[in-house]
Amino acid sequence: MALLNDEIRGQVRELLDAMPDVVRLVFFKLPEDQCEYCGVIEELITELAETSARVVVETHQLDADKDVAESYGIDRAPALAIVGAKDYGLRFFGLPANYEFSTLIHGIQAAGHGAPGQLEESTLSYLASLNAPVHYQVFVTPTCPYCPGAAVLAYDMAVASDWVRAEVVEASEFPEIADRYSVMGVPLNVINETGRVEGRAPQQMIVETIKSVLA
Amino acid sequence: MFDFKLSTDVSKGSSGSSRYDLIIVGGGPSGLAAAIYAARDGIKTLVIEKSAAGGLAATTDHIENYPGFPEGIAGSDLMDLFQKQAVRFGAEILEFEEVTRIEPVRKGLLRVHTASDEVFEAKLVMLATGSKPKKLNLPGEDEFYGRGLSYCATCDGPLFRGKDVVVIGAGNSGLQEGVNLLSYARSVTFIEFLPYSIAEKILQERTMNHPNSTFYFNHQVLEIKGDKMVTAVVMKDRATGEVKELPTEGVFIYVGYSPDTKFLGDLVEMNQWGYIKTDTQMWTGVEGLMAIGDVRANNLAQVTVAVSDGTKAALAAREYLAKLEE
Repeated sequence: MALLNDEIRGQVRELLDAMPDVVRLVFFKLPEDQCEYCGVIEELITELAETSARVVVETHQLDADKDVAESYGIDRAPALAIVGAKDYGLRFFGLPANYEFSTLIHGIQAAGHGAPGQLEESTLSYLASLNAPVHYQVFVTPTCPYCPGAAVLAYDMAVASDWVRAEVVEASEFPEIADRYSVMGVPLNVINETGRVEGRAPQQMIVETIKSVLA
Repeated sequence: MFDFKLSTDVSKGSSGSSRYDLIIVGGGPSGLAAAIYAARDGIKTLVIEKSAAGGLAATTDHIENYPGFPEGIAGSDLMDLFQKQAVRFGAEILEFEEVTRIEPVRKGLLRVHTASDEVFEAKLVMLATGSKPKKLNLPGEDEFYGRGLSYCATCDGPLFRGKDVVVIGAGNSGLQEGVNLLSYARSVTFIEFLPYSIAEKILQERTMNHPNSTFYFNHQVLEIKGDKMVTAVVMKDRATGEVKELPTEGVFIYVGYSPDTKFLGDLVEMNQWGYIKTDTQMWTGVEGLMAIGDVRANNLAQVTVAVSDGTKAALAAREYLAKLEE
């Protein structure tokens, strides 16, 4: 059975057909017996590619295609790299279901337009002044209505600056990673390992956190 | 189990127009019900919601007493249907935008200011900002928020798979979310201040008969303890005065709600807890300004009641807008 019904396909098509650049969804999977949702994710992105010609899918086995994974900085699966005219550093780890489906679509749009959604002037000018790498992780769960707001901010900032890499991680699918970062509540923003902001934070607060970890 | 639906929000905002007949601040059940009625009446309606539409109802794991769904329905699914119905009639829903100020200008004109410095204008504004989980103001509560302490079991429950958790508060919300947590956690311990639960009987039965639940009634939580993460709660037996420490990895607080009305300053009349006073037609007393749903004084925190408020307000709004035209 299709994951996306006609109504959703219609909405998605309208959004994705408007993108000037084609977006490549580079999917890294594990063998089926090691990955509960890999099949679902593959089906989902295949349906997205069917829905709009502006989306294409490329699938790799994480183990077999280690070099490719490494070139995208991906060390675990299931993982998606969302790549537009260039690789803006947008990643999604896990199944982008429920509320997180909106996050995925927003990420694709941002990459396909090569432009962030709604960033404030002050945020944009700060991002333009960056000169060091920013690893911006957002931990989410699919049932959290506050999470997409946090996740899309990361994606927007990554599209706005080549220094920012935005990884959205479905925390319940990656318990070791969630443990490593002590994720006990979502959304959780982690910037360069040490900067930690709980909840859906205003842009200014994220910018201040980036400043403080880079200082 | 999972589904793929699109929030209007993250990708698309409002139509770009900034003038509306009606702006509803808050996209929970009352706001969406009002939007359904108003938009269907041809009233140009915008709903502004600070996170995703659906309000607290959307973070309720399962709603069993909303008529029309004999098997019950996930809160997020129910709110998704509300939203679709409002959009179908032409209501616009702007998500992830926070209203910071309401400025009554004159009869028939109010300005609504948002956090991203946008200004919308409407002839009529409905406050449907609802309420949010109340804090207990315990030592450790702020410190461990997001570090094992949560106010949203629907959001954070999946992170506590196989762990031992505590739910503070054994009223309706606490037990309802407790049922949800029991499906993830190894054990759920409920701590209630009162000597009994005021929750619906069906919820009491479900949680109390569950093999992995424990109840402490007549106990007061004194402190949330931990190192980097929550490790224990300290509670006092109110009958004996005995203080004990209960080891746990997660604490979920469900001790009632407080209204989201701070941003209003002294614009409208509120009761001592900050809930907005209205007349039976939902008018606040400020020209063109109504309040509906959980944010309204003496309400019951039920989806059905919120829907009723939204309906009454939308009907009164139609009359008001028609009079403005005259």
